[in-house]
Amino acid sequence: MPNQYNITYRTENTYENWVNDAYWQFLIIPMENNTQHHIDVEFSNSLFAVNEYSINGYGFRTIRVHPKKKFKKINFEAQFSFIKDHIDPFNFPLDINEALAYKEINELTFKINFEAFLRSTPLTKLPNNVDSIFEFNLSNTIFENLQELNKWTFNHLQFKTGVTQVDTKLTDIISAKQGVCQDFTHLFCAIARQNGIPTRYVSGYINQEHGLLGDSQMHAWAECYIPQVGWKGFDPTNNILANTNHIKVCHGKDYNDCSPLRGIIYSHGRNKTTHTVKVQSQEQ
Amino acid sequence: MFIAFYHVPFIKTISMANIENQIFSSYQRNPDLYDEIYDKEGKVKEIYQKLFEIYGEHTISDYVNLNSKAKSSFFNQGITFQVYGDSNVQEKIFPFDLFPRIIDHKEWDIIERGSIQRSKALNLFLWDIYHDKKILKDKIVPIDLITSSANYLDQMNGINPPGGIYNHISGIDIIKHNDGKYYVLEDNIRCPSGVSYVICNRTALKKALFGVFNHYQTYSVTNYAENLLELLESVKPKGVDVPNVVVITPGMYNSAFYEHSYLAKTMGVELVEGRDLFVENDFVYMKTIKGPEKVDVIYRRIDDQFIDPLEFRPDSALGVPGLFAAYKKGNVTLANAPGTGVADDKAVYTYMPQIIKYYLDEEPILNNVHTYHCSRPDELKYVLEHIHELVIKPVDEAGGYGISIGNKLTKAEIEKVKAEIKENPRKYVAQPIMSLSVHPTYIDETESFEQRHVDLRTYTVLGKDKEFVLKGGLTRVALKRGNLIVNSSQGGGSKDTWVLKK
Repeated sequence: MPNQYNITYRTENTYENWVNDAYWQFLIIPMENNTQHHIDVEFSNSLFAVNEYSINGYGFRTIRVHPKKKFKKINFEAQFSFIKDHIDPFNFPLDINEALAYKEINELTFKINFEAFLRSTPLTKLPNNVDSIFEFNLSNTIFENLQELNKWTFNHLQFKTGVTQVDTKLTDIISAKQGVCQDFTHLFCAIARQNGIPTRYVSGYINQEHGLLGDSQMHAWAECYIPQVGWKGFDPTNNILANTNHIKVCHGKDYNDCSPLRGIIYSHGRNKTTHTVKVQSQEQ
Repeated sequence: MFIAFYHVPFIKTISMANIENQIFSSYQRNPDLYDEIYDKEGKVKEIYQKLFEIYGEHTISDYVNLNSKAKSSFFNQGITFQVYGDSNVQEKIFPFDLFPRIIDHKEWDIIERGSIQRSKALNLFLWDIYHDKKILKDKIVPIDLITSSANYLDQMNGINPPGGIYNHISGIDIIKHNDGKYYVLEDNIRCPSGVSYVICNRTALKKALFGVFNHYQTYSVTNYAENLLELLESVKPKGVDVPNVVVITPGMYNSAFYEHSYLAKTMGVELVEGRDLFVENDFVYMKTIKGPEKVDVIYRRIDDQFIDPLEFRPDSALGVPGLFAAYKKGNVTLANAPGTGVADDKAVYTYMPQIIKYYLDEEPILNNVHTYHCSRPDELKYVLEHIHELVIKPVDEAGGYGISIGNKLTKAEIEKVKAEIKENPRKYVAQPIMSLSVHPTYIDETESFEQRHVDLRTYTVLGKDKEFVLKGGLTRVALKRGNLIVNSSQGGGSKDTWVLKK
């Protein structure tokens, strides 16, 4: 059954000194795809500056704001309402030829077509000499291996906010064994890619009504390309497959491609930023 | 003071013996080097005879006098540059030599056709690797070479640049080896610089020695700007009638600022900095006193990573926020296109013969220098054992930075270079030490002409279905005796370069 979603995204920014010029780019609009549609966007800012709808370098929708006067405080509020179709993550063909699937991921054409999502980036680079990292068992199916990896990542890290930053490297995350959804996802991406599975970092929202772990801001999970199946979502923070509760905004190689807010502020001194996200759903 | 040469009676045969050529009296010729003006027997080559004769009429002190006047005219015009990595940052004059280099039309024809061939092949290569990637799938070029390059921009995948052109402006560095053949050393297709020197050198020589041009039919170089503008206008975005072109510069502290302002001035377009432009509803505008003015084509002299702080480096104060979105939507042309740097990587250079063959089904007109890839274990082994006879180059640095010339290194330096290569083999390629041809060049310290190594940078401009090669190019001179690196940033000088009409 489809869900009617309402998402409210708020951010408050206060600055110690006057800001003479600033640009913001928000990457927070739920994307239109085959399970998310009828997307309605309302966006406002407290300075009544023009909100420009555009795209980023990967074609995902953005909102840009460039106030034309100086300020010390600016608030943004976005309201999204849309329909999300019910997703049964297990609904895919069962008659997969696994031998063929493993053969395909080793072919050059496959590697070239999915190169961007097989490459390791600074945020998804595994340390060279790390023991006891998850390994694929080639007698299992690709899907089973990814499910195992999802579980392994979930068990390996403890969900804890404030330990890591958006730019924390995997080396530190693996040794600290703690992190938030970005860290779970980066670790999952790194290992899946190392095993030849094209994997993309996904940024979006999670419906926490059912007690799922996530962030009060934005959630992150991964999508893997499985031959003969297509892209499948894995949420290692919750050890589940992405489902109706996962609302996708965009994807990329890692957090840096998906950062929900980019800002260029011409000011000095301290500043304070707070974000809140509220996700409400209603079954139709 | 302006000194002109008047008609000199023509002397039919000239040899070293029967002419008292004062300014060349102490010229020492190393027979192992390929001299551009003397043949193997020590005779002045035919195309240089007249010039040799005219210059020979004068004493070295006349020449010194003229040279210092030319120098001060460069300084007065502000034709200066800065050397990075020099703690005393100061404006320097790009040293200029009044004795020109001459290229006859037959040799030029090879250079021109070869430059166009390479530029077109590189353009097709760029289209391919940002679309279907056929050359990778056909295993002509290895995939790692592209995707491990810091200059490969994922964001460019699937974008169709206006007119289908990526490398609008290519600077191809060509040398003549001691076998008398031309070899390409590098293709520069990010923001190749130096073209303003070509034109200024010609102007300076005309001012100093106008008369010499009466004896030669030389192609003009002053038509560069008009051709550049025409070709930039040919790649305007869809739906634009008369495009508004601008040149964007990082600013007056950039080493090539003189050139940016020169090109804007001679094209008759605005020179802007990032802060002069803004993006609204995915169109680019220039701030003017009469209000915003839409901009359609940007000749950008800012590196990829700095063009848009919202898309690339957020700490860039040089770029325009939102510019890349405007580009992706096809509302503005950027020349050169973002992401072209992946193809002027020195590791891609080594595949140029195959790249030309693959896209154009032609044999390369200009030779490539054999290159060893340190990323390949067997070639790495060879390089480590033969450093003393190789040039080691980092694959992603421009301007002659980070180059080591094997036979000039001490034992300790060789060990250091070896360690650096082993640390990061992908970063280095090696080539045999090419013997660049030499040309008589006036040297201040000895107040005489000496042999100095030269190369040639040609400027090729690609537009929609047309192309232009500047008939001249920049002859760069390594002023230090025996030095093989000719970049201006490495203390090189330059000469006016004549391409003869017949």
